[in-house]
Amino acid sequence: MTLSPNWLAAPIVIPMLTAALSLAFTRWNRRTAAKRQRNLAAIAIGLNLLVALLLLVYTLSGNRLVLQMGGWAAPFGITVIADGLTAILLTLTGLVAAAMLPFAVGTLDQRERMSFYPLMLFLLMGVNGAYLAGDLFNLYVFFEVLLMSSFVLLTLGGQAGQINGGIRYVVLNLVASVLFLAAAGLAYGALGTLNMAHLALRIPQAPVAVQTLLAGLLLIAFSSKAALFPLFFWLPSSYHTPHPVVTAFFGGLLTKVGIYALFRTFTLLFPLYLVEWQSLLLTIAGLTMLTGVLGALAANTMRRVLSFQIISQVGYMVMGLGLAGSSDATLASFGMAAGIFYLIHHMVVEVALLMVGGATELEVMSGSLLQRRLGGLMGRRPALAVIFFVAAFALAGMPPTSGFVSKLSLLQSALQNGNYVIAGVSLLVGALTLVSMARLWQHGFWGKATEPIYPTAPLSSVSGRWLTLTPIAALLTLSLTIGLYSAPFFRWSSTAAQQVLDREGYIQAVAPTDEIHFMGGEAHD
Amino acid sequence: MPELYLRLLDRIMTPVLLVFSIVLLLRGHNEPGGGFIAGLVVAAAFELQILSRGEAVVRGSIGAYLQPLIGIGLSIAALSATLGVLYGNFFKGVWWDLHWGAVSLELSTPLFFDIGVFMVVFSIVTSYLLGLSQREE
Repeated sequence: MTLSPNWLAAPIVIPMLTAALSLAFTRWNRRTAAKRQRNLAAIAIGLNLLVALLLLVYTLSGNRLVLQMGGWAAPFGITVIADGLTAILLTLTGLVAAAMLPFAVGTLDQRERMSFYPLMLFLLMGVNGAYLAGDLFNLYVFFEVLLMSSFVLLTLGGQAGQINGGIRYVVLNLVASVLFLAAAGLAYGALGTLNMAHLALRIPQAPVAVQTLLAGLLLIAFSSKAALFPLFFWLPSSYHTPHPVVTAFFGGLLTKVGIYALFRTFTLLFPLYLVEWQSLLLTIAGLTMLTGVLGALAANTMRRVLSFQIISQVGYMVMGLGLAGSSDATLASFGMAAGIFYLIHHMVVEVALLMVGGATELEVMSGSLLQRRLGGLMGRRPALAVIFFVAAFALAGMPPTSGFVSKLSLLQSALQNGNYVIAGVSLLVGALTLVSMARLWQHGFWGKATEPIYPTAPLSSVSGRWLTLTPIAALLTLSLTIGLYSAPFFRWSSTAAQQVLDREGYIQAVAPTDEIHFMGGEAHD
Repeated sequence: MPELYLRLLDRIMTPVLLVFSIVLLLRGHNEPGGGFIAGLVVAAAFELQILSRGEAVVRGSIGAYLQPLIGIGLSIAALSATLGVLYGNFFKGVWWDLHWGAVSLELSTPLFFDIGVFMVVFSIVTSYLLGLSQREE
């Protein structure tokens, strides 16, 4: 099967074009603009998911797809490349967006009319583009695209808390962006290229100081984007402020782009540093898990607990990256596969949990765990309670959900590598996660009801109930499927991991040249 | 509040800036210029209007069109990039030479891309400038 490389442009162009078209609509007939934007977004998200699935089928049979934009060969043109990891992430992003759309229709308030759907599509475009980018500068550009749209989504509605959280989010993310841009500038100044395949060829010849500086800057910049210890402060101080739809969308997509960038740059550009800094990466992973889960135990509102849980879970993925730094090739591949498998599990379950947590908050218009504000939802909203229970179980890593198998594979990989400390930490954090989920359950669903259900709560109407709960249930079904039939999912993760670790294959697929060479026939003068 | 000198300057400079921006836009592909810079020049013309006539006048005349213009400009840019797919590659430049007797016209997708960028840049920068010059009552 051959696939035209032009398909790679689709995950970027489809959301961008639809968002642009729906912005153009707002001038005429303002009243129905939101509805038309919603319909357009549904089409775009559906198409995007189909293209992502097509790319997934193509790449998981061991292929890479490379698009050299405009026909200009690698270091001179813009390279867009998809391998297994990219396609897996594109598919999951498409799934999350598809689940988010009915949830947004079911729960959004007047913020739906403030261009919510175009912003969501721009965010989707940025995330897709970051996964596809084949050079550092376009990675930076798409990071900025997704950050810009996330700034607006975060403060959409302009409540005091949102502005407060938004300022911290903007400032800390801009600092990380500046570091990233500095790293890109350094790479271009010292090595004369930004194309990742070309960089992978040239970095080994660079002075050690340049290599270390570049690896360090990128590590700091991406750790901040991925909310790793000690640079995670922006996340818990902002994620609980916007509308729950936005929180769930962010929780599923944003930190994962940072994780992807770490996976990609360290395996492709700095394989030596991956080995050399293995203990550093594992330490960061362990501390991220621990601080995240301790924060979740101390936090006092529903979504703050879940935000801290994102941090804790991100640590597990970095643990997979750290284990990929093993000097034994089989063990390294297994560690990477476990990390990717965890990423799959996490994107599905975290989004489901943030959605159900958000829906719970909307029922009583408060997420506070103090003074029994929540509570008693078990009897009043049984469907919500069941879904929350399954989602919390999946996050804590109980069988038969995907959380169990993904934690198990990481643990097995750590034990085989002889990294007993990180294995112990991951077990401890798993137990503490269960405690923090039990705490949410106890405060949110057990006990006597004190607060009345908010009159316009999404679950009060039949259509609202379907729109809100069906996507969450679908995501949890996927999690259970991964847990029960984990063999094919793990096999796909291994294929992706082998592709990610295969630097030669990546470089050959992009084939960077040192001569300007136009592939599209005669150049126009 | 209309400022006399600024209004005079505005009378002289606004047409100059607008014509200059078209020149910049059209020469952009092979020489310095292009959609981005042309868009900034148009935004400068609107800023001159804001300073001389006040923010409310400018907002009343073009404010409502800015957001749709961003959308239309982005669509033009995206479509002109996508057109290359028909000719083999995404973002591939496609060129047409049109002749009607003595009149000849050279069109290309890079030109349409630049026009899209031009619309996006001048609408976004103008709406920033309008937002910045808004006074709290």
